[in-house]
Amino acid sequence: MRHIQGALLATALAVTAGQAIAQETIKVGVLHSLSGTMAISETTLKDTMLMLIDEQNAKGGLLGKQLEAVVVDPASDWPLFAEKARELLTVSKVDVMFGCWTSVSRKSVLPVIEELNGLLFYPVQYEGEESSKNVFYTGAAPNQQAIPATDYFLEELGVQKFALLGTDYVYPRTTNNILESYLISKGIAKEDIFVNYTPFGRSDWSKIVADVVALGADGKKVGVISTINGDANIGFYKELAAAGVSADDIPVVAFSVGEEELSGLDTSNLVGHLAAWNYFQSADVPENAEFIAKWKARMGEARVTNDPMEAHVIGFNMWVNAVTAAGTTEVDAVSKAMIGQKSPNLTGSMAEMLPNHHLTKPVLIGEIRADGQFDIISQTEPVPGDAWTDFLPESAVLEADWAGLGCGMYNTETKTCVQMKSNY
Amino acid sequence: MSRSFFLRNPSVLVFLLVLALFTLGVTLMSEAYGTALISTSFVKTLGKTLCLCLAALAMDLIWGYAGILSLGHMAFFALGGYMIGMWLMYARTEEIVVAALANEPLPATAQEIQNGIAGQIFGVVGASELPPVWLFAHSLPLQLMLVVVVPGVLALVFGWLAFRSRVTGVYLSILTQAMTLALALYLFQNDSGLRGNNGLSGLQNIPGLDGVSQAAVSVWFLWASAVALGLAYLTLAWVVSGKFGSVIRAIRDDEARVRFLGYLVEGYKLFVFTLTAIIAAIAGALYYPQAGIINPAELAPIASIYLAVWVAIGGRRRFRWGFTPSTGWIGGWFCWACRLWRSRCLRPRALAGCSIWCRACAGPTARGHRLAPMMAR
Amino acid sequence: MRALVAALVAAFLMLVPSALCAQSAAEILLENRALVEKPSRQTIGPVIAALAASGDARAADILAGWANKGLGLRKSDGAFFLIAATADGYALTALDGSDAGTAAKAEITELRPNSGVRGLISLALVQFRLTDPDPARRAEALATIARDPAPELLAPLRASLDDEADPALAAQKDRLNRLLTLRFDPDSAARVAAIDSFSGDLGLDLRAALNPLLATVRKAAPLITPIDGNIARDLTPGDDLTEVEAYDLLVAANLAPARLSRADLKAALVANIVDGRVAGTPVADLNTQAARNAAYTALEAAGIVPLAATDEEVTQASASHRFVEVYTEPDPKVTTAAARALKAIETKLALMQAADLGLDALSLASIYFLAAIGLAITFGVMRVINMAHGEFIMLGAYTGYVVQLFIPNYTLSLIVAPPLAFAVTFAAGVAMERLVIRHLYKRPLETLLATFGISIALQQLAKTVFGTQARPLTAPAWLDGALSVNDVVQVSYIRIAIFVLALIFLAVFLFIMKRTRLGLEVRAVQQNPSMAASMGINPDRINMLTFGLGSGIAGIAGIAIGLFAKVTSELGSDYIVQSFMTVVVGGVGNIWGTLAGAAMIGGLQKGIEFLNPSNTLAAQTYMILFIILFIQFRPRGIIALKGRAAGD
Repeated sequence: MRHIQGALLATALAVTAGQAIAQETIKVGVLHSLSGTMAISETTLKDTMLMLIDEQNAKGGLLGKQLEAVVVDPASDWPLFAEKARELLTVSKVDVMFGCWTSVSRKSVLPVIEELNGLLFYPVQYEGEESSKNVFYTGAAPNQQAIPATDYFLEELGVQKFALLGTDYVYPRTTNNILESYLISKGIAKEDIFVNYTPFGRSDWSKIVADVVALGADGKKVGVISTINGDANIGFYKELAAAGVSADDIPVVAFSVGEEELSGLDTSNLVGHLAAWNYFQSADVPENAEFIAKWKARMGEARVTNDPMEAHVIGFNMWVNAVTAAGTTEVDAVSKAMIGQKSPNLTGSMAEMLPNHHLTKPVLIGEIRADGQFDIISQTEPVPGDAWTDFLPESAVLEADWAGLGCGMYNTETKTCVQMKSNY
Repeated sequence: MSRSFFLRNPSVLVFLLVLALFTLGVTLMSEAYGTALISTSFVKTLGKTLCLCLAALAMDLIWGYAGILSLGHMAFFALGGYMIGMWLMYARTEEIVVAALANEPLPATAQEIQNGIAGQIFGVVGASELPPVWLFAHSLPLQLMLVVVVPGVLALVFGWLAFRSRVTGVYLSILTQAMTLALALYLFQNDSGLRGNNGLSGLQNIPGLDGVSQAAVSVWFLWASAVALGLAYLTLAWVVSGKFGSVIRAIRDDEARVRFLGYLVEGYKLFVFTLTAIIAAIAGALYYPQAGIINPAELAPIASIYLAVWVAIGGRRRFRWGFTPSTGWIGGWFCWACRLWRSRCLRPRALAGCSIWCRACAGPTARGHRLAPMMAR
Repeated sequence: MRALVAALVAAFLMLVPSALCAQSAAEILLENRALVEKPSRQTIGPVIAALAASGDARAADILAGWANKGLGLRKSDGAFFLIAATADGYALTALDGSDAGTAAKAEITELRPNSGVRGLISLALVQFRLTDPDPARRAEALATIARDPAPELLAPLRASLDDEADPALAAQKDRLNRLLTLRFDPDSAARVAAIDSFSGDLGLDLRAALNPLLATVRKAAPLITPIDGNIARDLTPGDDLTEVEAYDLLVAANLAPARLSRADLKAALVANIVDGRVAGTPVADLNTQAARNAAYTALEAAGIVPLAATDEEVTQASASHRFVEVYTEPDPKVTTAAARALKAIETKLALMQAADLGLDALSLASIYFLAAIGLAITFGVMRVINMAHGEFIMLGAYTGYVVQLFIPNYTLSLIVAPPLAFAVTFAAGVAMERLVIRHLYKRPLETLLATFGISIALQQLAKTVFGTQARPLTAPAWLDGALSVNDVVQVSYIRIAIFVLALIFLAVFLFIMKRTRLGLEVRAVQQNPSMAASMGINPDRINMLTFGLGSGIAGIAGIAIGLFAKVTSELGSDYIVQSFMTVVVGGVGNIWGTLAGAAMIGGLQKGIEFLNPSNTLAAQTYMILFIILFIQFRPRGIIALKGRAAGD
């Protein structure tokens, strides 16, 4: 009904007011790198946003106005992210921004949007330990990806010894820290947790794979939790295959390998290894089929969909609903209306925006198939995202609640708000 | 600095005048002190450009005058930024932590405050202790001193090792590049104590200036950058106009001959190398509070190569009449244009690449390059 | 895990006798439909056991089908079928073996048990498969036993020993039998014998069997109380374990009071604030740890808070207790034998690990050598700083990728690709030399900048053409896998191939330089261009060819590097600095120097990685620092040119 009304309204406006009013638009900033190292991942998200905005405009826009995408390119250059965010907010005067991929880019943008009271939707799984008044985190927090995957290792695969392999940057570091204390709390001895960090784009994996295989020398079942990022995965999986390690001997669960990444790989040797996400293209529900069809119609048959895209879909739909509910695009009003918003995700359940600005998300674990897609072998009920992990002593006492407490970093022991702004 | 210095080098006065007019103009058009014709983000960009000009000036001295193609000056630049960034982060976090701990029933011990700060700064990278390199971060004067001392000492040690064993020409370039890479890789590690890949962020929020808007702060930094650039320009122009300038130019043209004439070539080179490293570091210390974030990607070898490229395009060796503005000045502007380009679309980056070799091919032939045949054989 | 497997197998064994009157497999599945639909390793055990024990002739087939995603559920009526995918749906087979027609994809839910459940299924199938006529099935069963050894598997394994016809499988069965015996046999003499039968064996499976026998736990007890159990060794606080650890053991064993943490101390003080004072001290003064300690002591004295252990008490407590490590394995004969067996292979193991590290270093060195050999020509012989060298490597790798697009046969494409890559990069090199470098021979610093510009342009070109996504360059099947000497020393075939390729390049380089007319001319031009010109050599042509040759070799190296790692537009820049280092460290202008440089850098990197295994980034940093220092002391590299040719 609303769609029809919207369409009618839009048509009416277009007919009567003509150009003058049609020019007044709601501006949506898209802050994704279109060049540089991150372009590969982020360009897809820009395309997703443009598709969503076009769709919304076809439905008649929002609040009777058309949406206008303002696309900028921060070029995978972290200081440039801050610069571009400032430009979007002060020069283009956007009402909302969708963007960033890496944590460091988000941290770069944070002070700017907190200073200028902007609104950012961040679509990628991240290490948590943050909740900003001005950011909505539509990707997974560690308890929505890393912890359930570890549980799966412990309970379903009976893994007793863990190799935490990661690229040396913040997300793997923090995630592995959380996992280490989680595993210790689950009774895994510290000696049974092997941690290794490698640089971006690492290609020489023989020694590390040999080390992992040698972990099996004390008769415990070994599992690898991989937070290896991007290209480096290719060499890693090639070396695993060359060493004859099958998923039955040493299972590997990856948090950064999705459909997009696998399209650059010969997956025949990887069959059976795992990935944990909140969305897989192979999810067999009508909403997903519809989304994939639209995406392929727009971008080409060969393109795949992935988890951060789903996060943008949910985030955008929620924002549209919140703006409609608030009747304005003013940031504070929209932020208020955002909390409690519900929107269907693409895997058959409902996503809800929590007061800590995180979403409820189901956790899916997929086994890699020979065609580069995933067989979903485990799907949980939606898990509420936890901004501050319960498995690190310093952050276990912290809580984020923008609705009740009005604070993103509330110490439940001392009952005080540690700070209103975020750590960056 | 006598009157005759300005008479001999009228361009210096012209440069200072242009710089002053520029700064005044920007101030009058800024949001904080004028007609708001220029947005705050643009004022920041202009301020950063001045800092890059300063770095380009240093590069011009070491490459254009002394003939040493250092591919490590952006490393010094970034080191300066890191040093000031440590104080900015520490002081800002300290304010927050002290405010938070004030609510507790017992007054906080120094240790608790320290732990709180460490937790806030390093929680992001999964650590909770302040690494030893942060020893002086609580004190602005000490940390400001480190801005000069750390890059200075690094340049001194590295330069001494390199010049002592007569590493020259492209070998030195490659060696400085290796130093930059090693430093960048080191800082990339989380264990380095400078937050690894995340680097230091939120640097635009100056501690103690919570009440002042970014619009005003950006203009202040523009002023500071302009003053630093002006002073550095004056100093360098004076330095190269005297006998010292003649000697280093002579070293560039024929190192062996200068050595045979009894000059301590290594000493001169080392002095220039260290001085320019310090200037680059100061430029960095002014740049990063305006950029807001510094991380190891900033000192990747490519950044230093770009610096060399700007200077090359800006017009290295245009010193025939003294230190003309064209060098550092145009270099800085070019870099700014580069950044803008880079953010528009993909192709200009390739274009920049092409322009580099066009410039190199079409550039002045072997002028002042009597040394070249020896190295190029 | 172990308990679960045991329960499962035990349930199975118990059910066997009563199998005759059990339900059919279909009935069991239907009864437990909810469990079967979403199986968890934690709960599915009994169902699998019941199926295996049902006596249904098709139970094994059903289980095997289930494990291989061959079991489906019809959505309309919830009936189970064995399914086989066809072009437009599934061909159905009813559980009793009769044909049940076909169904569309949407009508059937394919059951996908996770690998934990699949593991349980194959454990249950071991019984059937150990004596299966098909050797592949028997091998599968043995692999399952090797993966999840359990005491209950010992009997069926032994029973199948005698009937094994295949010698390879028989040997495997024998080995598994001994491995299971040493862990699970009730007779301690048999276990010791089994351990001794493995003398000198390095196998990972053996170590995996022996090490759990030697697992220990730490225990603490007062000096006078005897500790029972199979004691491994005594621990001295301060030497074998820290005072803190020792005291924590005591606290854990309830032998001593817990130490007071700072947070607890603070909480105790906060709880005792009276009128803004704690035990008489004003709250505002409690801003140092010393003041807080004093206040707590005052509270202790007043008897308000419990006494906390002081440092002296802690020392005293650890002195008055005995700390030991106790084997979880109760049989001392077995632990002694296991310790002896492990001790015996210790040295051999360390040697083998060193050998493995050496092979790794050799392989890395050959990769660096491959990346650097083209540079050894352009930089070493011609003294041209070619920063775009890495991009030639990249071009070669992309050529390999494009060839694979057109020739799907990996072996054939691997034969076609190298000459093509050579041709492409040779042409690119010649073009670059003609257009740019020729004009800059006298200006090395500008060459550096210009070639750097080209490298950026080429990278961008690659990004525009191929995208930023990494592209696959797949090795043919015969290069898959690894050559394994034993469970420690392994090297993948692709690395061996790279090593061989590096040797071939070395030979080709030497041949061209020392034995051909071209090589002679190149050396002549290198030493004195004008003299060479007056002898009728065209230096321009020679320079062009030399540069093309160096670039072409880089192209072939690109294919090798792409095969072993990945093909991205940044492939080249990953190797460029390392390549220059290799050439400079080795000594410019000498191929043996490049070889020595590669060997040194590769060996060094692996060495540092070995010393600091959890941080590979640090290894790179230290290596570069070392190289910088090395160049200080040998500015001309390991093998320096002597005489006039050395130039400046």
